[in-house]
Amino acid sequence: MHIPDGFLDPFWIMVTYAATIAYAVVAWSKIKGRLTQEQIISMSVLAAGIFVAQMLNWPLPGGTSLHFVGGALAGILFGPWLGFYVMALVLVVQTLVFHDGGITALGANIFNMAVVDVVVGYYLYRAAIRAMGETRKARLIGAFLGGWLGIVLAGLAAGLEIGLSPSFPYGVEVSVPVMVTWHAVLGVIEGLITALVVDYLYQRKSPIIEAAAKVAVHATA
Amino acid sequence: MAGLLGRYRGALLAAAVLLIISPVFGVVLAEKVGYHEPLDVAAEKLGLEEHPVAEWTPFSDYTVPGLPDTIGYIVAGAIGVTVILGIGLVAARLTKQ
Repeated sequence: MHIPDGFLDPFWIMVTYAATIAYAVVAWSKIKGRLTQEQIISMSVLAAGIFVAQMLNWPLPGGTSLHFVGGALAGILFGPWLGFYVMALVLVVQTLVFHDGGITALGANIFNMAVVDVVVGYYLYRAAIRAMGETRKARLIGAFLGGWLGIVLAGLAAGLEIGLSPSFPYGVEVSVPVMVTWHAVLGVIEGLITALVVDYLYQRKSPIIEAAAKVAVHATA
Repeated sequence: MAGLLGRYRGALLAAAVLLIISPVFGVVLAEKVGYHEPLDVAAEKLGLEEHPVAEWTPFSDYTVPGLPDTIGYIVAGAIGVTVILGIGLVAARLTKQ
């Protein structure tokens, strides 16, 4: 889902960079002075894990491929503000060190995978916990739905950005159905991995869960 | 400070294992089957083409100059993990406990 250089026109480059910088500023104002060293280390370990997971590209029947994205996972574990920084770290390193995703598209890529995916994953997970209580079943269902819808809506955002960029009209009529349909199918795998990882970390009482819970910076903060 | 990472031995070990098997997916299968994600499908239909603004990255596409693609993929991944954890350690050091 990493948009390369050349796909976005100058207007959408500016809009996506502006939206991403605005979110980064708000997120920073929410977490400023509240982060502990342990939390930062925990966030960087999760970022490293997501970075490696993204290197596993799975070819699929039907002529397409996918890799795990992890935005919903970051949002579920660290909330919408810290989760953003976990994913932004992954995406910035991918772009600046490996040219995975364009420099002109970095604003869009961070917006899609570190804002949309993170926020959707977080809210769906919290909704499941509110509806069913803090149970293992609620965590599994919430993480699955968050992982699935997060990737679908991130795909929708990417489809809109590239579809609105070309000089000919109605590009979105082509790009949005392709992106949403494929990600609705592939998102099932993202949802399953997200649910299994969240469940595993909770069952093992991982230090990542401990660090995230210690200074839980949630949307209400 | 790096001792803080010790608590995450399990997670880092899992990442190392994934890294070692990653070329199977990222290089071997990608070359055999062709890596083609939905974004590429949509871009093709729109007639969009990649235009790199410049080649500024040292390890473009997870390759390391002078190394075969499979080994280079693992080394590039290890470099990425090191950079990410390094940034985390520096940020943690700058944070008041």
